[in-house]
Amino acid sequence: MQTERRQFPIWLWYALLCIFWWGLWGFLSKIGSVAASPLQMQILFTLGMLPVAIAMLLQMRGKLDRNAGGIAYGLLSGIVTGLGTLGYYAALRDQDASVVTPVTGLFPVLTVLLAFVVLRERLNKVQMGGMLLALASIVILSI
Amino acid sequence: MIHWMAYASFAIVLWGVNGLFMKLGTNRVSARSMVIWVTLGFVVLLPFLCETTTLFGLSARVILVGLIAGAVNGLGNWAVFACLEKGAKASVAIPLTALYPLCTIVLATAFLKERPTVLQWFGIALAVAGGAMLSYEPAAATVQEEQLNCAQ
Repeated sequence: MQTERRQFPIWLWYALLCIFWWGLWGFLSKIGSVAASPLQMQILFTLGMLPVAIAMLLQMRGKLDRNAGGIAYGLLSGIVTGLGTLGYYAALRDQDASVVTPVTGLFPVLTVLLAFVVLRERLNKVQMGGMLLALASIVILSI
Repeated sequence: MIHWMAYASFAIVLWGVNGLFMKLGTNRVSARSMVIWVTLGFVVLLPFLCETTTLFGLSARVILVGLIAGAVNGLGNWAVFACLEKGAKASVAIPLTALYPLCTIVLATAFLKERPTVLQWFGIALAVAGGAMLSYEPAAATVQEEQLNCAQ
């Protein structure tokens, strides 16, 4: 854990940066899904990611990490995210972004459960409370 | 007609599993490499998508919005991989970055004139509070458990 600044570790800055970029993505997705189908949006979405990936490759001067496990998890990550995004876009066509996005945003509950089993990560009491609140919100928002 | 919640649940399951893949991936390759491999994962789905539909008939504006959305998402992917690469646990980084709907809600309310009902606001508040609490991780515990996970 890199904690040069104990109060605000560097990984937290990256997390906040991610929140900004993904938040903007959610907004743009809503605008696009009004005129385009989920499948059309997914094509545009993939094509839009390519320049970012190419920029990363150029930045690394072509020295791409080729660990077999890393490649497998990376490819799987892209595939399942892509399929999940199709579901997200389909939901956006019938419901407001301000309702759909918070619901799909609860996917970390499953990640936490999987991390508990596979990575042996453990939740504290506050996090357990957070999980219950998250589940309650799913029920309320689906009424 | 399938209810929107069914589509949303489908996304939750796949994205939930993805949180695990992201951590396992960044344990093995750099954040920038992960962005490239993940993008290739998306490209794998392209032939299927192109067989099902075309971009014909879409306005230049919609195409531009979709492309920018993809680029912005790619940048978000890089940021979360960098977060994991710098030592954050999956149980911390994934719930924390999942708060991105806050940013989306602010933008949708400001620019799309969307107005959630009182009950929906309550649900949104619970979701936000739940996400924040899920992200609560005392620093000492984070360091200790991360060292344990380094072996995986």
